[in-house]
Amino acid sequence: MRDCLKGSNPVAIHFQMMRSYTWIQTTDGAVQQVEQEVAMFCPLICQEVIQKGMGSSKNYAIFLPQRVGTSMFSLILDYCRFHQVPGRSNKERKSFDEKFVRMDTKRLCELTSAAESLQLKPLVDLTSRALARIIEGKTPEEIREIFHLPDDLTEEEKLEPLKNTTDDPRIRLLNRLYVKKRKELKEREKLKNVEAEEEHVDDRSVDDLVSFINGGDGDSKGMKTSKNRKKHQKRKDRQKCAPEMHKKESNVFSLLCHNAKHDHELQSSLRETLKLQDAADVIFSPTVEFEDVDIDSEIDPALKEEIDREVEDFARILNSDWPERMQELLSLGQERRPAQLSINGNGNLKRYGSIIIPRTLIHQSLHDHHAPRRLLK
Amino acid sequence: MLRKANSFPEEVLEHVLSFITNDKDRNAVSLVCKSWYEIERWCRKRIFVGNCYAVRPEMVIRRFPELRSVELKGKPHFADFNLVPDGWGGCVCPWIAALATAYPWLEEIRLKRMVVSDESLKVIAKSFKNFKVLVLSSCEGFSTDGLAAVAANCRNLRGLDLRESEVDDLSVQWLSRFPDSFTSLASLNISCLGVEVSFSALERLVGRCPDLKILQLNHAVPLDKLANLLRSAPQLVELGTGAYSAELKPDVFSKLAGAFSGCKELRSLSGFWNVFPGYLPAVYPVCSGLKSLNLRYANIQGADLIKLVSQCPSLQRLWVLDYIEDIGLEALAACCKDLTELRVFPSDPYGVEPNVSLTERGLVSVSEGCPKLHSVLYFCRQMTNAALVTIAKNCPSMTCFRLCIIEPRAPDYQTLRPLDLGFGAIVENCKDLRRLSLSGLLTDRVFEYIGTYAKKLEMLSVAFAGDSDLGLHHVLSGCEKLCKLEIRDCPFGDKALLANAAKLETMRSLWMSSCCVSFGACKLLGQKMPRLNVEVIDERGPPESRPESCPVEKLYIYRTIAGPRFDMPGFVWTMDEDSVSRFS
Repeated sequence: MRDCLKGSNPVAIHFQMMRSYTWIQTTDGAVQQVEQEVAMFCPLICQEVIQKGMGSSKNYAIFLPQRVGTSMFSLILDYCRFHQVPGRSNKERKSFDEKFVRMDTKRLCELTSAAESLQLKPLVDLTSRALARIIEGKTPEEIREIFHLPDDLTEEEKLEPLKNTTDDPRIRLLNRLYVKKRKELKEREKLKNVEAEEEHVDDRSVDDLVSFINGGDGDSKGMKTSKNRKKHQKRKDRQKCAPEMHKKESNVFSLLCHNAKHDHELQSSLRETLKLQDAADVIFSPTVEFEDVDIDSEIDPALKEEIDREVEDFARILNSDWPERMQELLSLGQERRPAQLSINGNGNLKRYGSIIIPRTLIHQSLHDHHAPRRLLK
Repeated sequence: MLRKANSFPEEVLEHVLSFITNDKDRNAVSLVCKSWYEIERWCRKRIFVGNCYAVRPEMVIRRFPELRSVELKGKPHFADFNLVPDGWGGCVCPWIAALATAYPWLEEIRLKRMVVSDESLKVIAKSFKNFKVLVLSSCEGFSTDGLAAVAANCRNLRGLDLRESEVDDLSVQWLSRFPDSFTSLASLNISCLGVEVSFSALERLVGRCPDLKILQLNHAVPLDKLANLLRSAPQLVELGTGAYSAELKPDVFSKLAGAFSGCKELRSLSGFWNVFPGYLPAVYPVCSGLKSLNLRYANIQGADLIKLVSQCPSLQRLWVLDYIEDIGLEALAACCKDLTELRVFPSDPYGVEPNVSLTERGLVSVSEGCPKLHSVLYFCRQMTNAALVTIAKNCPSMTCFRLCIIEPRAPDYQTLRPLDLGFGAIVENCKDLRRLSLSGLLTDRVFEYIGTYAKKLEMLSVAFAGDSDLGLHHVLSGCEKLCKLEIRDCPFGDKALLANAAKLETMRSLWMSSCCVSFGACKLLGQKMPRLNVEVIDERGPPESRPESCPVEKLYIYRTIAGPRFDMPGFVWTMDEDSVSRFS
């Protein structure tokens, strides 16, 4: 201190010696003096001075928290130096803040951390808002990259983690019961399937298209196609018998639900667990057709392009006999197409053929007695 | 403890998150990493669930323990066009029951296209001690009894908004149930109520709520009483008038004009049911500051309409009937340079001949004169490719473009060509387009344009368009941000749907009615995609009573982690693994 006073005006020296300084030790070990009114702007330093009497001399310098590095402290001092002056207008302060917080993300993070450990709330707010603005509008990947964060959420978790549903013993018991019931039902269905005639139904086009997209691997494709066909045929057979299966299974389920009726959470958690189990089946079973479709985004672009092209080719091939099929389908649907506009006695429009007019407009036009119907120009 | 440089100061993460309120941003934050996921979910205050069947209330409650505001949507958008049969679903009951036990401090509930019972309203009224905002948009199933319960019990209510809902009017006195000590109301929208409300109760309510900024009356509030209300609420920012006609009396007129003059903060006007043009000049004092004018129910014609609109140079949003005609839209284009949103509704949608002179020229003039125009809904009877190309060139920042040519499959009336090129120009030039509704004669080509260019498109509405599955395939494979797709009466079938099955899991929902999707394809889709609910809506009877190749009447597919729903009526079937075995 004496060095910097050498050769100065004695009056100035006198005034300078009248000012108070706080002694601060930064993390690099260096000790510095900070004008007291500036340093005391930081609540932590203020606390150290007032409550513990620290900072009055070099030997009793206040140790800054670990997260306040030397350059950060210097920045913070700039902030404090500006804001501790009482006369400034809101506009001035705002303008200073906007300029102050313009820095690269790395420094912004360090500054936020430093401000937080010094308990300097206005600066924490300012830097937090700046960080929020950086985060806004970004994708998770972008955010991870900017802040070097790990990508540690699993696919399942990204959808919606269903944790702790099997902790409740009641749920586990119901789970077991339900699985048991399901197995029983499947057995019963198999027994009813006495005549498993392999019917040749021509839904090959749909299956082929689907398995072609999912395949790309010659062997599995063949296998999948035949598996598809088998599964599809089995369904056809089942369709012939046991229409009352529907009722039975729903009865079982409603029975289970009835037991759990008084505990909504139990009921829904049960369903959730079943979903998890089913989902697990889907993911780990190697023979489920649509599995590959989920990893579509990870297919390399060249292959994706090829697949896209092939879908188009297929569509074109199938389109060649499409007009006839379409006629057939349309004629099936045609007889049920609702008739052109019909208003029943109450003026309620329930169905109308060709126009796409919203409900609220209907009410308005029907209630509107004063509007002239025709405006001839 | 060493810390990596550039690492995020996690001790302030919660504080930083308090400045991030946008749903999309919150969702992005929650997907960054495990620790962010945890911190985010504990401090999330507001949630938006775009499809009430996509998730179960218990799941939301478990993940977000500190919610203060919940927004839910129920029925698909096409319910507005009566395409969703009554009883389909969307009942809010289970949600309200779950929320009532889980969040005693819940403050806001916003519902759209949901079925709300009086019972649910009573639960809301009794369960949330600090309840502040209730918005029921296009809802139904409740009566004024439910509203009475809310009025009587919600001591801190700030907003009650019933926009476009269907309410059974059982008691006129429900407004009187707000206690005399109740003064916190800031927003009241009862414009949808059919029957009159007790005017004295309304007057007292308005008089004792100094924070009332939004007041939207129903048509039963007579014009001669409006002045009284305005005088006791000069701080109003948004006003929806009642019926705007009465016998023209000079004292009534001057009282009204004086009252409007006193409303210096008024920025938005609506209502105007049954307008008597003689009273229109009473609103002129507020016109210069008006930002939003909603005349969609106003039967004002020609000159009166143009005169009114020309008084509003600050106008940003105009909703109007086609009585404005091309000539009125030209005046609008000349006067309202800040216009961002225009909606023109048809006054006589079912008339065979046009009753007004509103053509594509009106929209073109607005696109030329209003550089900030970004949202358009336009009902008309004729369009050309040239007009659409011009509009596209004039409005590159268009975000929402909905064109409704009233006659289906109407071609470019000058060239008789399809409107593919016109809409193609729209999607190619308007790079920020988020919402698009098509109409007119359209082939697969328009969908190719959409798939190629509309990379930010989130919602697409299609009717009577396309030639084949390729059309649907283009959209599903090309539109990366597609969220909602609704289709009616188009020749789209199984192939495009099955080929793009994975895409459906990245979207909120797909609606297809009167198309060519077979029952077999629905079953396949439902069975193979466990995270989709594939709902077949068919009022002809069980789909398995018809051949598998038979097209279903209506199809509603939405992604969900809640599994199939159990509140379906008899004409809705969910295709999933269980039901498939049931059908066999």
